[in-house]
Amino acid sequence: MKRKLKIYLPFVNAGMQEVATYRVNWIFFMLGEALSCFVTYFIWAAVYSSGDKESMNGFTMPQMIVYIVLMFLTGTIIASDGAYVVGEEIRDGSIIMRMIKPVSYNATFLFQELGNKLPTEIAIAAPMIITVEVIRTMISGVLQFNALSLILYLFSCALAYLISFYFNICFGFTAFVIKYLWGANMMKNVVVGFLSGAVVPLSFLPGVLEKVFLFLPFASLNYTPVMIYMGKYTGAQLLYYIGLQVFWVLFFFGLSKLLWRISVKRLSSQGG
Amino acid sequence: MKNIKRMLRIHRIFMAQEFKRMMEYKGDFIVGIIGFFLVQLSNLMFLWIIFGQIPDLAGWSVNEVVFIYGMSLIPKGIDHFFFDNLWSVGYFIVRKGDFDKYLTRPVNTYFHVLVEKIQIDALGELIMGIALVCVSAPGIRADWDAFRVLAFIAVIPFVTLIFTGVKTITASVAFWAKRSGNVIYMFYMFSDFAKYPTTVYNRLVQNVITYIIPFALTSYFPALFILKGENPLFNLGMPVLASAVLMGAGIMVWHKGIRAYESAGS
Repeated sequence: MKRKLKIYLPFVNAGMQEVATYRVNWIFFMLGEALSCFVTYFIWAAVYSSGDKESMNGFTMPQMIVYIVLMFLTGTIIASDGAYVVGEEIRDGSIIMRMIKPVSYNATFLFQELGNKLPTEIAIAAPMIITVEVIRTMISGVLQFNALSLILYLFSCALAYLISFYFNICFGFTAFVIKYLWGANMMKNVVVGFLSGAVVPLSFLPGVLEKVFLFLPFASLNYTPVMIYMGKYTGAQLLYYIGLQVFWVLFFFGLSKLLWRISVKRLSSQGG
Repeated sequence: MKNIKRMLRIHRIFMAQEFKRMMEYKGDFIVGIIGFFLVQLSNLMFLWIIFGQIPDLAGWSVNEVVFIYGMSLIPKGIDHFFFDNLWSVGYFIVRKGDFDKYLTRPVNTYFHVLVEKIQIDALGELIMGIALVCVSAPGIRADWDAFRVLAFIAVIPFVTLIFTGVKTITASVAFWAKRSGNVIYMFYMFSDFAKYPTTVYNRLVQNVITYIIPFALTSYFPALFILKGENPLFNLGMPVLASAVLMGAGIMVWHKGIRAYESAGS
């Protein structure tokens, strides 16, 4: 264990340095992403003021605001670049450099990305959680902050990140078939975004679709942590959804190992 | 005149080259088109779901909202199709020092960058935009006459240049800052506001997207004219004026930037 840490910790460090170098660039990117949140907010505000119902499918307008902010935050926490990185390495053949090193391919990525994420996520998570709590308090008049929900949320996010990480690694292997990584990734992001409730809360979908989507791995990405923070899942339901998350982590972990085995056999690297 | 003829000829040659490249990677362009198509489809699902809850959105009917949505995709798609190369300037051409290439060629650098590539993915947006406009138009009660429709079509090239102008100004930042891909991205994302009727936003946002980063002029205001026949001077005049200002500013900043460009260190 100690030896493992010694091997992989430098990757965390490298990731942190990477992010420090491209700080300004990252800020502009986040601002761009945040803009689409504002659009979503205004549309929902118009929807709630055009309709006569105070609550739609279990969401009141204040809850919808909280949902939008939390979705954005969760989305950045669980985002993983694996699909692109693996795809690029498959395409240019540099994946063979990973094969000759005595470290695990997936683990090096994981630690490098963690290093990448830790400083940035702390920088945005704290202010956003505070924003959510301020909004909720202003609307209801009482402080609704619940430390247990926050801890459960963070725990669920950690599981969601692992699902996202291994899912993206698996998706990266499609580079053997589709060479246009940017296009393939965009397609993936759209579909995953919709299925994970980033576009509209899953409870707004017709009954059957909602049930199917809730079981699919994508709801375990964004939707489950957000629902937990909002206190919509409790007791047995909470255990069920966290259990489902664990199941999907193991599933994609196994799948990524399997794909790695297969690809080692069929890899033909150009000039590598 | 001779100059324009030469530029058109160069444009044609570059286009032909691009088509050859695309034919080489057929799979790619299908993936790209489907990708952008899916993005729009997901947004339409969103519209469909919210209209399941309410009869109209802040006074706008489904058809009107879809019309404005489709309208916003048309200029976006055209700009995306022809002038996508500006993103590469911001993301890597300047940073890697590859911009040297354009400086050594006997054509205007800006023109060269613009015509060098076309982006077939954009058809996903463009086709969807045209389809949505055509599908929603019959359901809207408006006095369509030939003049309105022609004016509407005539304004499309101008509003397209609003996209190109914003991209040009922000891409030029790379000449000083080495990379500006995400700066382009941030300002380009303001076009998301153009997808819906501007009246759903608050006053501040309305002013920003009308006068400062004027993407509302690319869809909402021209649509206001064609749907309601209101105030042609503002609804059509402003987009034309804005496109001239942004393109003028863009070309100026670009050429100032080239003087600041100092290739890559290695």
